[in-house]
Amino acid sequence: MSDPKIEGYEFKPGYKGMARDTASDQTMFKGVHWGKAMMWIFLLSDTFIFSCFLISYMKGRGSTPVEWPNASEVFGLHVFGADVPLLLIAIMTFVLITSSGTMALAVKYGYEKNRKMCGWLILATALGGLTFVGMQAFEWSKLIHEGVRPWENPFGAPQFGSFFFMITGFHGTHVSIGVIFLCIYAYKTFAGHYDEGKRGWFTSMKGDYVEIEILGLYWHFVDLVWVFIFAFFYLW
Amino acid sequence: MHVGFIFLAVIVGSILFHIFTPWYWTDIASNWGSMDDTITLTFWIGGGVFVAVCLFMVYCVFKFSYKEGRKAEYKPEDKKLEKILTIATTLGVAALLAPGLIVWNQFINVPKNAIHVDVMAWQWGWQYRLPGDDGKLGSTKVANINDNNPFGIILEDPNGKDDVLIQSDVLHLKNNRPVKILLRSVDVLHNWYVPQFRAKMDAVPGVVTYYWFEPNKVGEYEVLCAEYCGVGHYGMRGRVFVKSEPDYENWLQEQETFSDLVAKQEEIEFSKTKLAKK
Amino acid sequence: MAEDFNDNKTIQAQSSETISGGGAGVTPDKDYVRPAEVADQDLYHGHSFITKWVFCQDAKVIGVQYFLLATFTGIIGLILSWLMRLQLGFPGAAGFMTAEHYYQFVTMHGMIMVVYFLTALFLGGFGNYLIPLMVGARDMVFPYVNMVSFWMFFVAVGVLLASFFVPGGPTGSGWTLYPPQAILEGTPGSGMGIILMCVSLILFVAGFTMGGLNYLITVLQARTRGMTLMRMPLTVWGIFTATVLAMLAFPALLVSAIMMSLDRILGTSFFMPTILKAGEMLEYGGGSPILFQHLFWFFGHPEVYIVALPAFGIISDLISVHSRKNIFGYRMMVWAIVVIGALSFFVWAHHMYVSGMHPWFGFFFATTTLIIAVPTALKVYNWILTLWRGNIRMNTVMLWCLGFIVTFVNGGITGIFLGNVVVDVPLSDTYFVVAHFHMVMGIAPLMVIMGAVYHWFPLVAGRMLSEKLGKWHFWFTFLGAYSIYFPMHYLGFIGVPRRYFEMYDSPYITSAVGMNEFISTAAFIVGAAQFILIYNIVVSLKMGKPAGKNPWQANSLEWHTPTVPPEHGNWGDKLPVVHRWAYDYSVPGAKEDFIPQTTPPSEVADTEVEKT
Ligand code: HEA
Ligand code: HEA
Ligand code: CUA
Ligand SMILES: [Cu+2]
Repeated sequence: MSDPKIEGYEFKPGYKGMARDTASDQTMFKGVHWGKAMMWIFLLSDTFIFSCFLISYMKGRGSTPVEWPNASEVFGLHVFGADVPLLLIAIMTFVLITSSGTMALAVKYGYEKNRKMCGWLILATALGGLTFVGMQAFEWSKLIHEGVRPWENPFGAPQFGSFFFMITGFHGTHVSIGVIFLCIYAYKTFAGHYDEGKRGWFTSMKGDYVEIEILGLYWHFVDLVWVFIFAFFYLW
Repeated sequence: MHVGFIFLAVIVGSILFHIFTPWYWTDIASNWGSMDDTITLTFWIGGGVFVAVCLFMVYCVFKFSYKEGRKAEYKPEDKKLEKILTIATTLGVAALLAPGLIVWNQFINVPKNAIHVDVMAWQWGWQYRLPGDDGKLGSTKVANINDNNPFGIILEDPNGKDDVLIQSDVLHLKNNRPVKILLRSVDVLHNWYVPQFRAKMDAVPGVVTYYWFEPNKVGEYEVLCAEYCGVGHYGMRGRVFVKSEPDYENWLQEQETFSDLVAKQEEIEFSKTKLAKK
Repeated sequence: MAEDFNDNKTIQAQSSETISGGGAGVTPDKDYVRPAEVADQDLYHGHSFITKWVFCQDAKVIGVQYFLLATFTGIIGLILSWLMRLQLGFPGAAGFMTAEHYYQFVTMHGMIMVVYFLTALFLGGFGNYLIPLMVGARDMVFPYVNMVSFWMFFVAVGVLLASFFVPGGPTGSGWTLYPPQAILEGTPGSGMGIILMCVSLILFVAGFTMGGLNYLITVLQARTRGMTLMRMPLTVWGIFTATVLAMLAFPALLVSAIMMSLDRILGTSFFMPTILKAGEMLEYGGGSPILFQHLFWFFGHPEVYIVALPAFGIISDLISVHSRKNIFGYRMMVWAIVVIGALSFFVWAHHMYVSGMHPWFGFFFATTTLIIAVPTALKVYNWILTLWRGNIRMNTVMLWCLGFIVTFVNGGITGIFLGNVVVDVPLSDTYFVVAHFHMVMGIAPLMVIMGAVYHWFPLVAGRMLSEKLGKWHFWFTFLGAYSIYFPMHYLGFIGVPRRYFEMYDSPYITSAVGMNEFISTAAFIVGAAQFILIYNIVVSLKMGKPAGKNPWQANSLEWHTPTVPPEHGNWGDKLPVVHRWAYDYSVPGAKEDFIPQTTPPSEVADTEVEKT
């Protein structure tokens, strides 16, 4: 990416440039949209939330006296007469990662002012998210059916159920909120709000395609977090 | 002007209060005089800094109060002064920290000859367990606790058989002999604290925590619970007697061991079944 | 709706005078300031009463709303402290006071004062009002989100206060909410009370995050022309760093509140080990109470700096303005704030020295804790060195500053006692700790708040507060509060544990009955003295001496708005341009003893200003 052009300001590469930007007046992140900067900082904060969850999980798993259940058994799926250890989860992960791809494309078409493509790609992303949440719901109901509850677990330590439902639930909430926003943004894209700079319903800020990029940041973050959750719950 | 005098009075008053206070720590009755020494050292350094900073402030109040037409000095920085102050403060802090860490090292390394004492806490009371002739405490489990086994001793553990059980909140300790207090709790957090011994530690359900001290003054002391544990917290007291060796041994002889208790229980069971048969 | 916006399409640069000269000229104009990078902000102007005063998007109004609501909760906290002191000084004097009530009052007092009073007042109140004004912005960058932030806080306070009226009452588990006791019977309010507490905290964190994002982005991305980070007043630095801490520390509180509510509602065992209660095994098992303590203090320690750092920043400005002297060692002050903030994430376990965590942590955390004393000490030195050779106005604001220095140093030094791990062993969980944190958190930042109220009231209301009442208020509060907490340390030395409803007749405790009575009496007087301020505010709002522009002859931008009090949008039609730091007081060669930040160098040509 090339630096934005700012009148009277000369960019320098590397850490020297960073120090220069920091010491300069008006903005620290040159040419960065307010909303985008906000999203980055929000995501940093959110990272701390998920870290706290996952560290608690590690501690909880370490300190419970009862055996931790074997992930590949608990999450195994029985299809066509064979036990496939991580099938569902592999599909879920695949779907979510793919949706990150469509999101990235939506951002690209957005900046190219290609309203149609952008809108459809956002919808595709939302569909990916929805599929993910749906499969998560399926997995939850399967576990609940087998007797796993937040407070008890036939396969071993009850903390397994507690942490699993809490953390995937919290992540699933993130995905669901993302889906809702994707739908709203898809509508706004198709309706052309970003082309005309129409003001938002609540925020009274002018619409701009940068908003799609901001939502994209959120979406990629949610995917990234999933990779960690996946590793902690299914591979450890 | 009066402003400076009042602040001065506050500082002088603080010093005088410290010197003449009737309220100060209770006479120490354990080996942790070194803790008191660290506190005293902190008082000298910290108190010195406090007085110095405040006196300087009062001086400024007297000397530099507003005067029409006077201009304040304009000097944004003074690298040298700032450096000196940084180094001096670092040295001061190091002088406090180093002795502190040395004493902490003593605090967490328990001497080999310490008598182990199991302190069991619950809402809201204490009971104690001492090792029997083998000098070892048997292991325990909260789930095992019942009327017949008030300490939850694991029956299979041979070390537990001769443990001395004290089902009262009064503990006796041998003078001049280190004790290792092993704390556990069956419900919530507690903390076994005797001000005269200085040391304390939380009892946490699910784990066993410890600390040690060596009582060195014969007498009676009150145990306070020093971690909030529910409405009964303030009433969760106990007592400790520090006794000379012979007195201590006499007391120890009178206490019941776990096997005594089991035998007694069996007798009762037995007579009950006999009764039932009749 | 379109007329609600001032569609400001002109980019500041084109309308400004300073563009002349240019950067590349042969003799660069020394007044040159780069043109604006960002187009002027659109603002939504409310017209009805509701959009102007209730659901208002103006950061200044939101700041005042935060201030009023926080003060309201603070007064509730104050009344609770009266009730506690009544019991401690004169046991049995309040007939209804049971141990349950006492513990509920202690808990609510602690939580209200720390989170809902101080945090909300400093960040929500002063942050909202001052940040945009001090960095030369028209408003916070996301005014709508900012408004929602306040109303989330409002709901959080509502939920918190609602817990007084549910069956079982509010939680009485201590403000630290330690499990397992927080959610077990035997602790008051372990039913609905603790759940509402967790919900309220979650709402608070959510609301705060919205506000916090605003404060951060406004400081980072919406400064006016010429306002570099190193020209910002220290107030902004303090609030900014505190907000960063909050954004990274509140997640731990959020997570622990969620896990605690699940333990309570669903019966999970995150924090709950096997528990035997009243002879029965509960359905919990396998959890770790210490995990909660780590999470809580990972939040809790930064939290105490969240209330301390804004206080540090504000006091620096007040001292500088009223000693008519630049703040000594500005750069050192900024770095100290940042370093203290960073270090505060590595000291949390000093609250857990006797919690039964692995004793080796003691070495690490004692070291980091004492290291924090060094940057803090530098700040203290710089404050008193600012007084040195100043021209100190002995007005009410300055009195609060002096009071702050005394109480803060006193409380900081007792912090050094506690931080040094072995010294903490006898003193932990005694009244020494209570005295420490009231001195350093209850009194010192309170002094700053009061000083700030006297300092900025003329800006907000356009009228001065009465100096005479202010001085009475100060002496009652300072001398009273000092005599509450200075002796209290000695209760801790005796060994009196905190959170004791009643002392019974242990010999060393009964020796302190007289002291407790004295402390309580002082507490009643100090609390009552606060109503002097409220009276002063109410009366001065209507009848105070008109303040005029810049009554204190201060340099920073908030005093240089076209109208006092500033209107929505702050700056009329032209944003200010900044040419210097905020501390050019008593510059040699200048006519006045202050040079506002907006004064270009050419206007004060023969001064010897340091380059900043
Ligand atoms: C604004 C709030 C605030 C601030 C700024 C501080 C500042 C400090 N605190 Fe405090 N603290 C609290 C609020 C605060 N604290 C609260 C609320 C609790 C109790 C919570 C509870 O349990 O309910 C607590 C409890 C607490 C404990 C736990 C006690 C216990 O429960 O057993 C400890 C232990 O280390 C501690 C240490 C410190 C230290 C080392 C500092 C340092 O930052 C202080 C640094 C300042 C100075 C040192 C003064 C200036 C320096 C000089 C003039 C230089 C010269 C000095 C030397 C050379 C020594 N604090
Ligand atoms: C900022 C924090 C703060 C403040 C200001 C106070 C203020 C006071 N506190 Fe506070 N206190 C805590 C934080 C605070 N406390 C905490 C965290 C605990 C621990 C709780 C726990 O153990 O769980 C505690 C516990 C605690 C105890 C220990 C209880 C126990 O362990 O059993 C006691 C006992 O005396 C006490 C007394 C007082 C008194 C007498 C006052 C005051 O009366 C002092 C004098 C009052 C003032 C100086 C005025 C304050 C002004 C306002 C509130 C609003 C006015 C503002 C405007 C108009 C702008 N408090
Ligand atoms: Cu047991 Cu407090
Ligand atoms: Cu701390």
